[in-house]
Amino acid sequence: MTSIGTGYDLSVSTYSPDGRLFQVEYANKAVEAAGVAIGLRCKDGVVLGVERLLHSKLLVKGANRRIASLDEHIGIASAGLLADGKHLTRRAREEASSFRENYNSPVSVQILSDRISAYLQAYTCYGSVRPFGLSSIIGGVDKTGSKLFCIEPSGVYYGYRAVAVGKGKALAKTELEKIVNKDLESQQSGNVESSLTCKQAIDEVARIIYLVHDDNKDKEFELELTWICEESGNKHALVPEELLKSAEEKAKAALEEGMEED
Amino acid sequence: MFRNSYDSDNTTFSPQGKLFQVEYALEAVKQGSAAIGMRSKTHAILLTLKRSTGELATYQKKLIRIDDHVGVAIAGLTSDARVLSNFMRQQAMRSRMTYGRAIPVGRIVQSIADRAQTNTQEYGRRPYGVGFLVIGQDETGPHLYEFSPAGTAFEYYAHSIGARSQSAKTYLESNFESFENATLPELINHGLSALNDTLQQDKSLSLKNTSIAIIGPSDSSSDIENIKQSAAAKRGNFRVWENEGVENLLKAWRRSRGEPEDGPQEETTPPTAEQSQSVEGSENAPQGAPAAGTTSEDVTMEE
Amino acid sequence: MWKQPAPANSSFNEYNTFPLPQTQRGQSSHAHGPVGHTQQPLVTGTSVLGLKYDKGVMIAADNLASYGSLARFRDIQRLHPLGKHTLLGVAGDMSDFQWLKKELDALLREEDALALTDSHPSLSPKNIYELLSNLFYARRSKMNPVWNAVLVGGWDKVKEESFLAYVDLLGTTYSAPTLATGFGAHLAQPLLREAYEAKAGIDGEGPLLTQEEAEKVLEDCMKVLFYRDARSINKFQIATITSEGVTISDSKSADTYWKFAEGLRGYGAQTQ
Repeated sequence: MTSIGTGYDLSVSTYSPDGRLFQVEYANKAVEAAGVAIGLRCKDGVVLGVERLLHSKLLVKGANRRIASLDEHIGIASAGLLADGKHLTRRAREEASSFRENYNSPVSVQILSDRISAYLQAYTCYGSVRPFGLSSIIGGVDKTGSKLFCIEPSGVYYGYRAVAVGKGKALAKTELEKIVNKDLESQQSGNVESSLTCKQAIDEVARIIYLVHDDNKDKEFELELTWICEESGNKHALVPEELLKSAEEKAKAALEEGMEED
Repeated sequence: MFRNSYDSDNTTFSPQGKLFQVEYALEAVKQGSAAIGMRSKTHAILLTLKRSTGELATYQKKLIRIDDHVGVAIAGLTSDARVLSNFMRQQAMRSRMTYGRAIPVGRIVQSIADRAQTNTQEYGRRPYGVGFLVIGQDETGPHLYEFSPAGTAFEYYAHSIGARSQSAKTYLESNFESFENATLPELINHGLSALNDTLQQDKSLSLKNTSIAIIGPSDSSSDIENIKQSAAAKRGNFRVWENEGVENLLKAWRRSRGEPEDGPQEETTPPTAEQSQSVEGSENAPQGAPAAGTTSEDVTMEE
Repeated sequence: MWKQPAPANSSFNEYNTFPLPQTQRGQSSHAHGPVGHTQQPLVTGTSVLGLKYDKGVMIAADNLASYGSLARFRDIQRLHPLGKHTLLGVAGDMSDFQWLKKELDALLREEDALALTDSHPSLSPKNIYELLSNLFYARRSKMNPVWNAVLVGGWDKVKEESFLAYVDLLGTTYSAPTLATGFGAHLAQPLLREAYEAKAGIDGEGPLLTQEEAEKVLEDCMKVLFYRDARSINKFQIATITSEGVTISDSKSADTYWKFAEGLRGYGAQTQ
C-alpha cells in the first residue's frame, strides 16, 4: 500500500496529498475482519442477522450477542471492533431516548441513523480521537414503514433494501441482490409492494450467513437473528427459537444441496 | 524506538485495522500471574496464583469482593485494577440504593468495559493494563465474565487469564462440559488442577500462593469450607479462602488426585523467580533485575 | 384532600374550591427571582384503592381529574402499567403523574433494550417501588415534592407472590394487604379491611378473597367514595395484576340509589 511509511496515514486529521484519509480507510479494515452482519427489508418489517464468530469454545452458548436494541422499534447489528459497537449502541440509545423526551414520540429510523452518522463523522475530524472501527446496520419499523440503513466508519450512510457488512460481505451481497431482483421482477409484473415477508426473510438471511461462513478458515459461529414486524408486535425482538431452529435446518440443508451440485 | 510507526499511540489504526497499543495492553495482562474462573449450574468460582516480590513481602492479593453477589480476580496492573474495582463497587451500591436490586452481573461488567473502551479511542490516554475475571450471581443464575483492556466483556463457562494461562485453558477446554452439573468440591478440584498446570516446573500450589473465591451455597457434605468462620459462606455470598482457609480445599484436591494430603514438603528455596520488574510506575519497588535467562512469563508485575 | 391555600380575600377555604395558584411576590432573594417549586397541586385525581386477593392484586381509581372543585377531565386513566408485572395507581397532581409516567416508561424502555442483549429480567415491582420511594423522599427534601400518592401493585416473579405498597409526596412508605390513598384512606380502607379480614383473619393467615369477591368489595368502595367524596365521579377502572400480567378493565359505574334524597331539604328543585 502506498500509504505506508508516508506519514500521511498516522492521524485522522491529516489528508494524504491525493486527498484521502487513510486512518478512516484503516478503520474499514477492522470491519472486514468481523463476522458478517446482514439486514434485509421486507414488506412487513426488517430482519437483522449476524454470524457471531466464537473465538473460544468456552464461551457461553447464546450469550455475548452482537445485535442490540436502540429503542422498542429499532435494532442495530454491528461488524467491527466489539467495544466500539457497545459505545455506539449506548450513544444511539441516548439519542433515541432524548428524542422521545423532547418530542414525546418515537424517533424515526431515518433521523436516528442521521444522528448516529453525525456522531461517527465527528470521530473522523480530530487528531485527538480515532474513527470507529465499525460498520452498523440499523433497521426498524416506524410510521413511514420498514427502514434499513448502513453507517460506515466515515460517517457516510445510505438506505438499503438489503445490506451486508463484515467478512464475506461481497458474497452475501450477491445473494441479497438475487433476492431483491426476484422481488423487483414480481413488482414489475403488477405487484406494487415488495412481496417478501419477514418469515421468508429469516430463512434467506440464515441461508446466506451459513453460505458465507467459511468452515475451513473461520472459527465456529452462532447464528443470531432478530426482527421487527407484526409477529414481534412491531418491536425489535429475537426471532423465536422454533423459527431460528428451522431457519438453521433449512440453511444447512441448502448448503449440502449446493455442495452436491458443485 | 518503536516497533513500527503505528504503535506509539492508541488513536492510530495500523493499515490492517489493528490497534497496537490495545494489543500491547493485552500483553500486560499476560504478565500478571494466572487467574481461573469457572461456573456450574449452582456456583461460580475463581482461583488465583499469588506472587510475592521477595521473602520480606506478603503475597499480592488477586481477589476483590465487589458486593455480596459479585467478585473479581485480576491479572495485570494492580493499581488499574483498584480504580476499576472501586468503580464497580460504586455501581453495585448505586443499584442497591436506588432499586434495592443486586446489580445484574453482565451490566456491572459492561460498565467497566465501557470505561475501558474510551481509553482506546481518545488521545493522551492509555488502555487499562489489567484483565478481570468476574464471577457473580443474579436473577439469571451464576455467571463468569472476562473483562479485557480492549473494552470487551465476554461470558464464559470457564476461562483463564494471566501468565501461562494457556495451559489452564487447555485443561478447561477438555473438561468444561462436566462443569455444568459438577458439585462445588468437584468444581474446585477441576479449578485447582487447571491452576496447577500454570505453575512452573519446580513450583506447587501451597497455602501461601493459592486463593479461591466462591459464590453459591456451601457444600454441606464436605468440610472444605469452614462455615463457622464465614457468614458469607453460610449465605452463599462471595467469599475468599486463602492461607489457612484454603488448607482443606487443597487437601481435598490432593486426595482426589491420589497424592499425599500434605503435598510436597516445604520448599527449601524462597520464591526466587518471583522477582519484579517495574513497568509504568510500579507501586511495588522492584526487587532487582530479573535473573538472566528468566522468561518473560516469570517476570512479576505489580502483583 | 389536596390542600390549597385560601385566596387573599377569603379567611377560609373549607371546600377546596379555589384551584388557582397565588403568585408569591416580593420575596425575591435571588437575582433571577425566586426558585419556583410546586407548592400546590392543580389538576388532581382523588382516591386510589388497592387490595390483595387470591390470584394477585387489584387496584381501582376513578377517571376524574379535577381542577379545584371543577370536574375538569372526566376520561383520565389513573392506572398505569409498567412492564408486564407492575402497575401504578396515582392520586394527586396529574401533571406530576404524567411526568412520572414519562420518566418510568423511559427507564423501562432502557431495561428492555438491555434485556435483548443480556437476557436479564426487567425491574421487579419491588425495584420500581424502591425507586419511587427514593425519588419522592429526595424531592420532598428539596422542598419540591412530586405531588402524588401512589399505590404500586405487582407480581413478584421470583417469590411468586403479590406486591402492594404505598408511597406519597412526603416520601412516606408502607405496605399492607389493603391500601387506599386520600379520602379512600378514611372511607374505603375500613371496608376493605373488613372484607379482607373476614376471610383471611387479622393475621392474614386464612384464605384470601376470590377475584369476584375482591371486585365486588372494590366496586362497593368506589360507590361509597362517589357518594361522599365531592372530587370523585361514578366512572372508574379496576386493574388486576397476577402472574399472568396486568389487565385494566374498561371504565364502569356502580349502581347508585338517590331516591332517599328526594325527601331532603335543600336537594333538587325545592325552592324553600
